Amino acid sequence: MRKSWKKGLAVLTMAATATASLAGCGGGGSASTTAAPETTAAQTEAAAGQTTAAAQTEAAAPAGETTYPLTNGGKLTYWLQLNSNVSANFTNLGDTELGKQWQEQTGVQIEFQHPAAGQEKEQFNLIVADGNLPDIMEYGWVNSYPGGPEKAIRDGVIISLNDVFEQYCPNITKYLAEHPDIDKSIKTDDGNYFAFPFIRGEEKLRVTVGAFLRKDWLDELGLEVPTTVDEWHTVLTAFKEQKGAESPFCFDWANFKDKNLIAYAYETSYTYYVGEDGKVHYGPVEDNFKKYLETMHQWYSEGLIDKDIATLNGDQVTAKMTTDKAGASIGWAASRMQVFMTTAQKTNPDYLLVPTPYPTLEKGDTPTWGYIENAFPDVGAAITTSCKDVETAAKFLDYAYGEAGHNLMNFGIEGVSYEMKDGVPTYTDLILNNPDGWPLAHSLAKYIRANYNGPFVQDGYYIEQYLQLPTVKECPSTWTVPGADKYVLPNVTALQEESKELATLNNEISTYVDEMVLKFIFGTESLDNWDNYVNTVNNMNLARALEIQNSALDRYNAR
Amino acid sequence: MQGNSFSVRVKKDFRRNWSLYVLVLPVLIFYIIFHYKPMYGAIIAFKDFIPAKGIMGSEWVGMYNFERFFKSAYFVRLMRNTLLLSIYNIIFGFPAPIILALLLNEVKNKKFKSITQTITYLPHFISLVVACGMIKDFCLSTGIFNDIIALFGGERSALLQNPAYYRTIYTASSIWQEVGWGSIIYLSALSGVDSQLYEAASIDGAGKWKQLLHVTLPSIMPTIIIMLILRMGSLMSMGYEKTILLYNPSTYETSDIISSYVYRVGLQEQDWSYSTAIGLFNSVINCFLLVVTNKISKKFTETSLW
Amino acid sequence: MKVKISTGEKVFRVFNYIILTIIALVCLYPMWYVAVASISDSSQLMSHSGVLLKPLGFSLNAYAKVFANPMILKGYGNTLFVLIIGVLMDLVMTSLGAYFLSRKNVMFKKAIMMLIMFTMFFGGGMIPFYLTLKDMHLLNTRWGLIIPFLVSTYNMIILRTSFESIPVSLTEAAQIDGAGHMTVLFQIVLPLSKAILAVMVLYYGVGIWNAWFWASTILRNRELYPLQVILREILISNDLQAMGGGDAEAIAMNIKYATIMVATVPILFVYPFLQKYFAAGVMVGAVKE
Repeated sequence: MRKSWKKGLAVLTMAATATASLAGCGGGGSASTTAAPETTAAQTEAAAGQTTAAAQTEAAAPAGETTYPLTNGGKLTYWLQLNSNVSANFTNLGDTELGKQWQEQTGVQIEFQHPAAGQEKEQFNLIVADGNLPDIMEYGWVNSYPGGPEKAIRDGVIISLNDVFEQYCPNITKYLAEHPDIDKSIKTDDGNYFAFPFIRGEEKLRVTVGAFLRKDWLDELGLEVPTTVDEWHTVLTAFKEQKGAESPFCFDWANFKDKNLIAYAYETSYTYYVGEDGKVHYGPVEDNFKKYLETMHQWYSEGLIDKDIATLNGDQVTAKMTTDKAGASIGWAASRMQVFMTTAQKTNPDYLLVPTPYPTLEKGDTPTWGYIENAFPDVGAAITTSCKDVETAAKFLDYAYGEAGHNLMNFGIEGVSYEMKDGVPTYTDLILNNPDGWPLAHSLAKYIRANYNGPFVQDGYYIEQYLQLPTVKECPSTWTVPGADKYVLPNVTALQEESKELATLNNEISTYVDEMVLKFIFGTESLDNWDNYVNTVNNMNLARALEIQNSALDRYNAR
Repeated sequence: MQGNSFSVRVKKDFRRNWSLYVLVLPVLIFYIIFHYKPMYGAIIAFKDFIPAKGIMGSEWVGMYNFERFFKSAYFVRLMRNTLLLSIYNIIFGFPAPIILALLLNEVKNKKFKSITQTITYLPHFISLVVACGMIKDFCLSTGIFNDIIALFGGERSALLQNPAYYRTIYTASSIWQEVGWGSIIYLSALSGVDSQLYEAASIDGAGKWKQLLHVTLPSIMPTIIIMLILRMGSLMSMGYEKTILLYNPSTYETSDIISSYVYRVGLQEQDWSYSTAIGLFNSVINCFLLVVTNKISKKFTETSLW
Repeated sequence: MKVKISTGEKVFRVFNYIILTIIALVCLYPMWYVAVASISDSSQLMSHSGVLLKPLGFSLNAYAKVFANPMILKGYGNTLFVLIIGVLMDLVMTSLGAYFLSRKNVMFKKAIMMLIMFTMFFGGGMIPFYLTLKDMHLLNTRWGLIIPFLVSTYNMIILRTSFESIPVSLTEAAQIDGAGHMTVLFQIVLPLSKAILAVMVLYYGVGIWNAWFWASTILRNRELYPLQVILREILISNDLQAMGGGDAEAIAMNIKYATIMVATVPILFVYPFLQKYFAAGVMVGAVKE
């Protein structure tokens, strides 16, 4: 629960595309960014010359006059999780073209440090315990740091960025001024900025996860794409009985337990959410959630849901989905659905997946709940208290919010990984049809960060090109449920004195809930014991946790 | 007077053995730094450790972290799981290598014996990471164990998602991994048994069974007892590594043990002081158990660690 | 003199052979399964269910993929570095400790023994240990995988027992000739303890080869990862997509199995070479323990 629930903002319509905002940024920083495109276009040889050419930047330059690359860049350490698409081919982000360019264009030397996959939290917490921190750390400060960002500042782990933004960061300051809702979500109640945030620059980028199923099977069986829970049952049963799928509905629980479309059909959530009354509620103890579990249990015992769902990992899901053992899944549009299709179509040209809309209980109803990520999905690069050269770190990070940096993060190097066509950055064949036969995700990860995350604004043109297959392109629109984001709890933060208490309560409750939910689904615990379960959660003092969350929400709304 | 003679003795000892002490110095330094220094660091169990303030600067909270653990909703379950898993491991895991050694000892065919021995050592060399990866794979509803169950008409189920099977899987896989390796020590003890004893026994008309009871077991008993005492001392210190590689929320009911909880609390939830307090509690119980078993053993079998 | 074998004993013998054969098969089969699966054809393997006795088709693609991964080879290098340096240092340190503890007429021997034994059952816990590593500047370096684990108390006790069994006359004779403890240890005691040292090499070697936890917490530079950390990423926590991308071959299960083989077989090969010494060595160690 703690991990992935991206808390959303109150209604935030970013009709203006990122390019529009960029145009603004570009204008503001025009003096500063002119040098950068040349650097990107020119290849490595020219770099040395460039660095000396842009010589006049002064350390004390006030906001708005930063010239990249910085002449007195210095060297910083930067800790972040290395995305698996990068680690497939590189051991360090600094070895990728993106990493090299990032350092070259900013003039700052970076030593990237990475934890082992699956051990990020452990390593992070130990680093914090030893107090000898890297200069910059990228982490989920709101939900993964126990107690949240305000506590991280008070613990002396990271610094408040208010003065830093004002003094050294014209680009992000400008962006935040133009986007007050985002501005609100990357501050604590005390008004401290805590990180350079990852921002999903457009509405459609926030709808990253949804369900999809085998359209070729549906057609063969004469079935429609299901729109209600009952129709889902019919479809899955048909997949099992007539198509011989051993586990018709198959996804990795660990990643998607809180994004399950069936739960949304029952108008409930695996996590805290904001109810119609504007108060914070906890889904897993509500009656709707019980109904959801009853359905899940029924499906599980009928063999419609994968038997091993709690232990599955992505590869196993991929294997099942591409070998006719499963017919429906939940996942990301590109890195799951598209991968399944390209993989399976090699042996079965008819293989076709389509995204499914969020189902309802009654036929003809309009879904009101669906998964939508916060525009700031809780990934941010913070400057730590160990950082000796805050100015350089700030300028280095601010670069990505200017035009040149934005293009670097989203599209890579002009003339190499992308070209401007009709004013639109377009990936080259080096990316789309990699000569080394790399899959798209890998070739992207060599040049950009937009296909995962990082401290920059994600650009809509990226996703348009990343989603290549026609049915995959439909995902964002099919998965969008208008108004669903009003239920999403924004990035609220507890008060300093409450944060530890809340963290403890949440740990205790979520450990128990995670366990019981699975047992209810598997039938190792009967749903007759539902009331006992709810009592136990209440005895763990859920009321107190809700009280803290509610006051935090009030403070958030009052920001 | 006494102090004086003591210091004289010390002086004499140092004069004679100084080079020996120099020799052992690196080892002592090692133990002081990597074992005793962390023990000193464990005082954070009595503090509210905040890294920026350091170990010394953090505020004292007395027994607060211990009380929190004893009052925790999971205290009883963690104790029960740790003890049960440990006891399972002792009841089934401890005799297994002894039995294997006894069986192997009866084999007269040298070649068969050495091949069997070598094969049974094999799983020990498979790392925990790999072993757990294999176990997870084999326990899937489509895995090999279920293939076998299905072969006999049973129903397929996800074995690692059912708390009822967890202890069995954990214990069985531990036995599988360590039985051969563990038998080595008993085999060597067995090979040291005087063969005249067997001859004498068989002349007295003792069959295999009687020989086992009256000759073999008594001869290797000291080895068994020492191994058992050592084992009892670590009754509560079931490692977290295997647990965190094997468990998932659906089996917490039986799989979550003190060390895995310490791991989650300390490394995943950043509750360093709490985590250290639980670890300390665990260590104290271990020492207590060790002393008690040693005492019992001394009384009844005259074998003891010290 | 031929002792007559009773019927009961005959039954027992047959029974014994059968049981031992079954135990051996159970110990062998998982490795066999992995070996066979790793060279099987990936698509046949994926659709196969049931007991696997021989390869389904034949393909070495999985191995090609595994060795094409830059991390695997680097991991090998790091593991070998830690293994070789680590085992050597472990042996020296353990010998020093064991030698001291095996000497007679040393006043503080018992106290030091207690000091050492105590650590087998009482520890400060993970976080204080980690903080110690930080104080010793052992974070994010391969030395951090060696130095904090130099001596295993258990191994040292075994070695001590073995040293004690060396006739005192031998060492005393040398000392009368004026040899210091260093000379006695390295020129008399150690050469006489080859067998038990082989055991130590095996104990420490297997431990280092298989260690993953501390490596995964103290290393922030992926260039330094030992093999097991990479294995864990592949086997337990991560998607195989990280191995070879999202194409059909890459997601095949046989890559997983090939990885296991690559990581396990080398250590298996070491064993027979040491086995000769091994049986003798453990025996010596077991005399008292």
